[in-house]
Amino acid sequence: MDSSGSTQKLENLLLVAVPRDLMDDEVIELRREILQAIRRHGSQVVLLDFSRVDICDSFFGRFIYTTSKMVELMGAKVIISGLQDVVIETMVELGMTLPDVDAVLDLDDALALSRSLSRQYNHLNETAPPDGDIADEE
Amino acid sequence: MAEQISAGLPPVSIRVSDDAHAVLAAQHGRALAARLGFSVVEQTACSTAILEIARNIVKYAGAGEVTFQAVEDGEQVGIVVVACDNGPGIADVNLALQDGYSTGGGLGLGLPGARRLMDSFQIVSRPGQGTTVVMQKWRSAAPVREHASSSRGRP
Ligand SMILES: Nc1ncnc2c1ncn2[C@@H]1O[C@H](COP(=O)(O)OP(=O)(O)O)[C@@H](O)[C@H]1O
Ligand SMILES: [Mg+2]
Repeated sequence: MDSSGSTQKLENLLLVAVPRDLMDDEVIELRREILQAIRRHGSQVVLLDFSRVDICDSFFGRFIYTTSKMVELMGAKVIISGLQDVVIETMVELGMTLPDVDAVLDLDDALALSRSLSRQYNHLNETAPPDGDIADEE
Repeated sequence: MAEQISAGLPPVSIRVSDDAHAVLAAQHGRALAARLGFSVVEQTACSTAILEIARNIVKYAGAGEVTFQAVEDGEQVGIVVVACDNGPGIADVNLALQDGYSTGGGLGLGLPGARRLMDSFQIVSRPGQGTTVVMQKWRSAAPVREHASSSRGRP
């Protein structure tokens, strides 16, 4: 496992510990760190772990949204986990919905999802037409 | 809000001029709610509403103040939060209270969401003079013992 700052690589999964108190001036840096880590590790799935967060206002919602859009543009996918029950209850009351972002129960489920995505990906490469020579790509 | 008196706790004001202060105000709201025996859900609702309103002060007015007051009304115990600033104000408050309305590229859920999370919510704003939000939440039922409410309680 390779980690730097708030991100950690686990297979083709990138774990991101979302800070408990997300500040305006930290968001840009955190997103940048995530994008760099995706590139460095070739991660296919980014797991935003919310287990430290106990007050989740719409600013976090916006962070999830913008991060997932950026990650999508890199060909990867954001999933979230670790939301506390009371936080979920409050988010719903607040009116926060997260279309396009899947949630998983725990790290095991996240790993299962990213492994199945990586199998699909490998399968696509194996069945690619012969003229697209990508076999030795590192 | 006729016959409410302070529940033995003096009002506390927190000056807010950056996001760290907004977080501090939200944490204070949670701590006060916990102290008054609010359930964890109610603590979370209060502190989330406060964070929304305090971040608005920082983002749209630059600076302001959030004041907390514990109140009692007969059997009931509650929290009143007053957030005020001398910023640019809001031209159309009804519009700003609609889900999804934002002039700052936000999700537009702060004001309407805070209104849903609290029991009462009033906003007064005059363009050029500033904005004041007064919101209140009552403890719903029997007090919840503070130590049992949150193992990750704020200091
Ligand atoms: N304290 C304030 N001073 C001036 N304008 C404000 C203030 N609070 C909110 N507003 C205005 O109301 C709009 C809606 O606020 P809100 O519901 O919190 O959504 P968001 O913050 O995502 O824009 C803001 O975009 C802004 O135009
Ligand atoms: Mg807002």
